[in-house]
This record gives sequence, structure tokens and C-alpha cells, in this order.
Amino acid sequence: MNLIAQTLADGLVLGGIYALAAVGFSLIFGVLHVINLSHGILVLLGAYLALIFSTTLHIDPLLTMPMVMVVLFAVGYVYQRFLIQQAVDRSPLGSMLLTFGVALMLQNIMIWVFSPDMRNITPTYAFTSFKLGPIAFDAVRVSCLLASLVLLSCLAALLKFSPLGRVIRATAQQTLAARLCGVNVRHVYALTFAVSAAFAGAAGIVIGIILPFSPADEGTWTLNAFVVVVLGGVGSPAGALIGGLLLGIVSTLTAQYIGPSFPNVTMFLLLVLLLLVRPQGLLGNAFAPSR
Amino acid sequence: MVHSKKATRRRVMANFGVALGAAALGAPAIRPAHAQVKTLVIGGSVPLTGAAAETGLNVNNGYITAVSYINDVLGGVEIAGEKYKIDLKLFDDASDPARATTLIQRQIDEGTNFFLGSFGSNIVLPTAAITERAKKPMVQTGGGSDAIFTRGYKFVFGMFPRATRQFAATAAMFKSLQPLPSTYSVIWTNDAFSKTAAEGVRLSCDAAGFKRIDGYELPAKPTDVSSVLGSVRATTPDLLVCVMHDQNSLLVARQMVATNTNVKLLFQGLGPQLASFREALGKHSEYLCCSTYWDENVPFKDKFFGDSKKFVEYYKTKFTRPIAYHVAGAAACIETYILAMQAAKSTNPEAVRDALAAANYETFYSRIKFTPEGDGDELLMGGMIGQVQKGKLEIVFPAAAASAKPLYPAPDWDKKA
Amino acid sequence: MKQYPWAVPAIIVVCAIVLAAGPLVLPPFYVRVGQLMLYSSGLAVAWAILGGFAGYGSFGHAAFIGVGAFAAGLVEERFSSLPTPLLLPLGLIVGGLACAVLSAAVAYPILRLRGTFFAIAMLGVCHVCAELNNNLDVLQGSLGLNFPAITPTGWDPANFFYQLYLAAGTIVLLIAWQIRRSRFGAGLLSIREDEDTARMLGVPTERYKRIAFVVSAVLTGLLGVIYGHSLGYITTDSVYRDDTNLSLVVYSLLGGMGTLFGPVIGAFMLVFITQVVLARLLDFHLFATGLLLVVLVLAAPGGVLGFVRSYRLRRRSTAAAPAE
Repeated sequence: MNLIAQTLADGLVLGGIYALAAVGFSLIFGVLHVINLSHGILVLLGAYLALIFSTTLHIDPLLTMPMVMVVLFAVGYVYQRFLIQQAVDRSPLGSMLLTFGVALMLQNIMIWVFSPDMRNITPTYAFTSFKLGPIAFDAVRVSCLLASLVLLSCLAALLKFSPLGRVIRATAQQTLAARLCGVNVRHVYALTFAVSAAFAGAAGIVIGIILPFSPADEGTWTLNAFVVVVLGGVGSPAGALIGGLLLGIVSTLTAQYIGPSFPNVTMFLLLVLLLLVRPQGLLGNAFAPSR
Repeated sequence: MVHSKKATRRRVMANFGVALGAAALGAPAIRPAHAQVKTLVIGGSVPLTGAAAETGLNVNNGYITAVSYINDVLGGVEIAGEKYKIDLKLFDDASDPARATTLIQRQIDEGTNFFLGSFGSNIVLPTAAITERAKKPMVQTGGGSDAIFTRGYKFVFGMFPRATRQFAATAAMFKSLQPLPSTYSVIWTNDAFSKTAAEGVRLSCDAAGFKRIDGYELPAKPTDVSSVLGSVRATTPDLLVCVMHDQNSLLVARQMVATNTNVKLLFQGLGPQLASFREALGKHSEYLCCSTYWDENVPFKDKFFGDSKKFVEYYKTKFTRPIAYHVAGAAACIETYILAMQAAKSTNPEAVRDALAAANYETFYSRIKFTPEGDGDELLMGGMIGQVQKGKLEIVFPAAAASAKPLYPAPDWDKKA
Repeated sequence: MKQYPWAVPAIIVVCAIVLAAGPLVLPPFYVRVGQLMLYSSGLAVAWAILGGFAGYGSFGHAAFIGVGAFAAGLVEERFSSLPTPLLLPLGLIVGGLACAVLSAAVAYPILRLRGTFFAIAMLGVCHVCAELNNNLDVLQGSLGLNFPAITPTGWDPANFFYQLYLAAGTIVLLIAWQIRRSRFGAGLLSIREDEDTARMLGVPTERYKRIAFVVSAVLTGLLGVIYGHSLGYITTDSVYRDDTNLSLVVYSLLGGMGTLFGPVIGAFMLVFITQVVLARLLDFHLFATGLLLVVLVLAAPGGVLGFVRSYRLRRRSTAAAPAE
């Protein structure tokens, strides 16, 4: 009984982090209909920035979040407005390949600047753990989970209640109608991408604290985002959360009961299975056109 | 107005071009005349990008350190009465075997006779196949998998014993601990090196009389080891042996601390040797053991650098990156080549190959001797065991090279003050 | 071209014969680059049968390279006592069969998806195959698989594999040509243009898609078998590569999506650029490849052939316009 509870708890903690790492990707896919293959590299950019800020300013890495998010917001806006938008206009496959090309370029730049070594961010509480009843929790992972949940709720609130959120949702649901109502669609697309990049960066901080990272890891996080989006649904933080939690639990259950080297197999099997059974994900497309 | 601007610019460009041309023509004359020094070309690939890049960079730096010392400080080496400078021709294989094989072939075409190895058995093997076919020697410090040394290659030499033999020293050290441990468990990652190394752990430890409780296989890039550690807590082995690359070792160690998984001794093949690893773990890195193939305190003497301390000094004048044993191993590859050529009194590949097979040289790294299959001699080139004591990596085994005694059993994580 | 339908295969065969003489004049490095070019173009055309003609761009075709190579290697290892000339044919048959079975099994559910969902699903399939291959010890993915040496004595291996790739690539191209000019090919093109309308008009879309999928998979697998032999030792990372997955798409994009020769041109160009031009630039190749992709997408989304076509169209229209 204890083992299952511990495994589930570990899975939930892991899942919250996966969810944060994927929500940006989900938003872009839902609003811009673009598959952003440079998502993973934006996550890593967040991690590296957090490393720099926390070591030079001597603050806890989680506190660097506002700065990192602002930087990535700016980067994301410019990136989308001036580069990706051109590709979106031209061909559907084009945006995918463009983002892949940019990912390669950024990866090379990171290798020049940071070297290919594995880095990690070690906060002061890196080794503490606490227990809730018979279940042990790793303090770092739990604080990251809490950060994820806070950010995801903020994003959900932004999308639901703020004017910006309404405009984004409107553009996603009916682009032409939004344009006719006077929405500057390009600007909205760029803002959405910027928000998404900011969240990718925040996820990067969280990931950097938990795992060692290096420029070569970027593909893993893009793939992760894919799986979470397919599982949970496109375009909503709730979908990302569901998808992430599901992925986390499946991973830990597989590791515990089938074998520690099998979580990836089940992850991809789940991806394929869900694409066949319910391609829009468990919560569906949050921006499905209204009737 | 525009017309004259264009003319001016054209004139400036023309002047510049003439100046450049003159410089180019004059340059050879400016170079000082010196004695006929021949060039010795050594080629090969290293992964500078991709999955193996972190160690690839260390290996690369080691090659560069040795070559620049030989060329700049020693002014070249003498082989069979002629002076030679080394021309190091390395390229980035991006951790991709197809790329590595194509570019190695190009080097063979261009007449390169001697090769250094890449890092990672899956890249070394195909490239070794090509150099073997072309009958050119390869001395490498990057591939330890048994597969490389059991194919009957005559021209491939490795600075490590093959993976299944790398744990003889570790098992011997375990046997020397007081009170004698009785049980062990192994964790490894699912890749060519770690799997065969884990097999080596099993063979050596079983032969030394230890009882194996469990073996755990992790994916090649693990993100979470909580389930494995849960099992370890439940079965309480005396010794826990981890065979994996440094970043995975760090992940395991951190999660062990966070989940309070205690064992009497934690051995991590790759990890504690690196300063960045010890820094990341802080005081929790005390008592951790690792295998190390070199350390700047080893007592070997060397006709190029003198000893390891001087090597490290010279390395620090060229690189700010913290030194690791792969750097020394790589430099030793270069030295081994030179020593073999000097022994063979020739730069003919086949003669050098014979000299390498008969090698018994002392370098600052270790004594170099190869088995008939080409891997490093188990005893001479097998690893030493290091343990982190008071923030430093001390050599605790074998006794001849030891700088401290092994501390056992280790205290619990939360008691490491 | 329409009057002489046999002109195209004749040209292909003549080109193949000319290329076969390559190893006699080229230094071994260029023979190896040639190997890679021929291998890549064969893969590109095989991919394009499904991706270019039918419009179902798969992002996971490396799965078939891996399955083909490992199936062949495992069987050849088991039957290594057979005389050497029989090993490669055995490997080809087994590899091809394995890919046929896999693709037939997967085709029915996967081909119900379209567009990006299909692409991602295939990526998922590729990773599932890669992970299973890696984690099931009997498949030897992580430990690595050795291939027997199949080069006939006296023949330089680089030359031998060059000719093998050339022969395989030519066959793949001829098959693609035959498909394209057949009713089946016309059906595939109609699927790309508008699948639902095609179905309404009576084109057996489901059957055609499945056939194209299996053909594409088997041809890819056969090339994978040869690739495994040419490397000599493979691990999961050598064959189930994500960069191969993406390259296959890029070849068609670079050369002209949906055309017959576009993928070949794209493959030749990209291999040339990455192996010859960028080989000298140690630190830059990732950056340069990325930049190339970005420029390609922005400047020439139709690929080389698309660019040529639009150029010709523009020329024709300006020529027809009344003189100013």
C-alpha cells in the first residue's frame, strides 16, 4: 500500500513539472497552430539564465523567475513577430522546420557560450526532505511543483479573466472574425508566443534545479511537451496539467512495476495510443470553434 | 557626388588589395629561416557537440596540451635522427558515427598515418574498423567496450582495460575494508559502456566473494530514480555501486540524500572525480568513492613533462577548464605514439604498430602496456580508487599509490558535518 | 517527356551507369560522401512515396531504418555459418519482411490521422521502436550489434557499398517513377490534393494509402539493412536518429515536395553541404545547418524545383506581357 502511495506521490510531483514545461507549447499550438520545435531550447535558455542570475546575484534560483520570464517574453515576441510569422504565412510545414533550424542555431550558440558540460543549479535546500505520514517527499521537487501550480493558475486566470486573455481566445477561436473586430492578429500571435516563451523559461528554472542539463537536452523537452499536449489537450493550462500529471504517474508506475528503464516506452506508447483514440487530448482543444 | 564616392571607395579597395597582395607575397620572406623540421600528422575525431561533448572536450584539450607542449616548449621531438613537430588534425564528429567514419576516411586519403580515438564505444568501433582496414594505428582513450578488443584488430590500442576487466581494482579494495562488507547492489544505465561495466562489476565482486542483492537498469538518460532507491532502502546492501556517466551519478546521489537512502559505502564509477560534482554535493560528497585513472599526485616520471604536477601546471596556462583524468589520458596517447616511434626508430605505420604492441613505457599518466588484444593491461592501467575526504579526492587504493586510507563505513547523509 | 515515356527511366539508368564509374576516379573520401548521397537520396525518394506523393509526411521513418537493420543483423548473427554471399540477401529479405509486418500492423490505425497528427504519431512510433529495441536485451540495441563482413574478397569495401547504394537507390527511384505514372500514383496525388473529394469520386483512398505506407516502409528498411552492413556495428543511437527523421523531410522540402527528382536533388545538396562544405568548420555545423533551414523556409518554401518552376512561370508571363 505504502509503495503505491509513494509511487503515486512521486508521479504527481514529477507530473506537475512536466505540465509547466509543456503549457507554453500547448498554447502556441492552440492559438497559432504552429508546432514549435524550438520549445526545448527556450526551456534550456531559461535554465541557463537562472544559473547566471542566481550565481551573480546570490539569490535563490526560484526568485530569478520574474527576471528570466521578462527576458524570455521579449525574446519570444521578437522571434515570433519577425521570424516565425513569415514562415506561417508561407507553408504549414515551414514553421516546424524554421523552429527546428532556430533550435539548432541556438543550441550551437549555447555550446559556444556555456560549453557542452552538464550544469545544475543547486539551491540551499537541495537535500532536505520531509515526510507526510509514511510518504517521503523531496523538498526541491515539491517546491518546484508548487511553483508550477502557481504559475499554471496564473496563466489560467490570465486567459480567462484578463482582456489580453479574451483577445487571445477570440483570435484562436475565430481568427477572421477577430480581425474584423479590429484585433491586430499579428500582435496577438506575437504576445501569445511571448507568454509561452516566458513560461518555457520558468519551466527551465524548475528543471535546472532538479536535473543536470546541457544544450544537448533540448530535444527531450520538446518531445515531452508533445506527449503532454497529446495526452491532456491543446491550448489550456488545465489540459497541460492533466497531461503532465498523467505522464508523471505513468512514468513512476512503469519504473516501479515494469522496470526502471521502461518509462520512455510507455510514454511513447501512450502518445501513439491517444493519438489514435482521442487525438485532441483528454480535455480537447480549448479553442475549438464555438458553434 | 555619387560618382566620385564610388571612385574613392573603389580606389580604397584597390589600395587595400594591393597592400594585402604585397603582404601575402612578402610574408614567406618574413618568416625566419630555421632548420628542416618535419611534420608528423596525427588525425582523428572527437565529439565536441552532441551527447558525448562534455568528455569529448576534455579529451580534445588533453591532445592539444600535449601537442603544444611538444611543439612550443620542447621545440619538437627527435625520431630516428630527424626532428619532428606534430600537426594535430582533429574534427568534430558531433557524436555521430556516420560523420566520424566519413571524415576519418578523408584523412586516410590525405595521407594521415596515425589516429587518435573519439569518445564513446559506438563511435570508436566503426572508426577503428576503417583505420584497421587501412592498416593505420589508432591509440584511443575513449572506447572501453569489450566489442572493440575482441574482433581481432591489430592496429587499435586503448588506454583502459576492457570494460569487463575495469573492476578488478574496485573489488580488491572492497576486500581490504574493515569490517568486511558482505552484500552489494549495482545500478547502471542502458548504454554500451555502462552495461558491460556493470557486467564487469558483477564478475569481479562475485569472484571476490561478495553476495549480490540486486541489479537495477536505468534508461540512458534517467530523470527520476526514486523507485530504484525505494528498493535499495528496503534491501539495505552494504555497498552500492553505480556505473554511469557523471551527470547521472549526480542525480542518483542527490536523490539518495533527499530520500535519506543510506548505504555503508557508495561507489560511483564516474562522478566524484570532478570538482563540479563535489561542489554540487557539498559536504554530502564526503566518503564517496570513485575509480580514477590518474590524479596529479601519481608518482610516475615522464621524459616530456617530468611529472604530473608539471603537466597540470602547463595545462593551466592553456585552459581554465578544471582538469579531469581524460585530459591526462589523452595527452598520454600522444606521448605513447612518440615513444613508440622513437623505439621503432621510424614513422612507418606498421613499424610503429609493432612498437606499440610491445610497449612498456613510463609516462606521467601511468605505465603504458597493452594486452595482446590492444586494451590496457589490467593491473598497470587499471584504475585506482579515490575517495572524497575533507573535500579532496584522495587515492585510497592500491596501497602503493595511496595518499590516504579508505574510510568505512560512511556515516548517514544527515550526519555528514 | 510525354511522347517518350521511357525517356525518364532510360536517363536514370544511364546516370546510374555513369555514377558507377565514380569510384574509379574519385578519392576514397568522395566515394564515402557518394555513398552517403546515394543512401540519403534513396531514403528521400522512399519517404516521398508516402510524404510527397500522398501528402502524408511522416516524422518517424527512421523507425524502419532501425527495424530493418536490427532484424537483418540479428538473423545474420544467428545464421552466421551460412556462406557469405547468402548473408546479405538473407538480411534484405528479413529486414524487408520485418518492416512490411510492422508497417502493415501500424498502417490501419495510424493512417486515420492526418497532417501534423500523423507526423507526430509516426515520431511516437519511431521512439517506441527505438526504446523497445534499446530495453529488450534480446534485441541488443544498447549493447550493440555486429554485422558480418560481406564485401567479396578483392573488392574495396567503400567501392562495394557505393555500388550497393547506387543499385538500391536506382531501384527505389525506378519504383517511384513507375508509381507516379500509374493509376495508383495518380490516386496518391489526388489524396494529397483533397482526400475527401477523391474518396467521394471513387478513389480507393484507404487501400492506396496503406499500400504506399508499406511500400515506403519496406524500401526504407532495405536501405537500412545496407546501412547497417556499411557501419559494421550499430547501437540504437546509430539508426533511430531524430536528425534522420527530420532530414528526410528536409530533403523533399529542399528539392521540391511531391516531385520525383526533388528529393534526390535535396539529398545530394544537403549531404554535400554538411559533409564537404561544413566538414571544415568544426564548431559551426549545427549553426550553419540551422541557418540553412531558416533561409530555405523563408526564401524558397517550394524547394529548388519549386523555385525553378516559379522562375520559369515568371519568365513566361513577363515574356507574354506586352512590351512597355
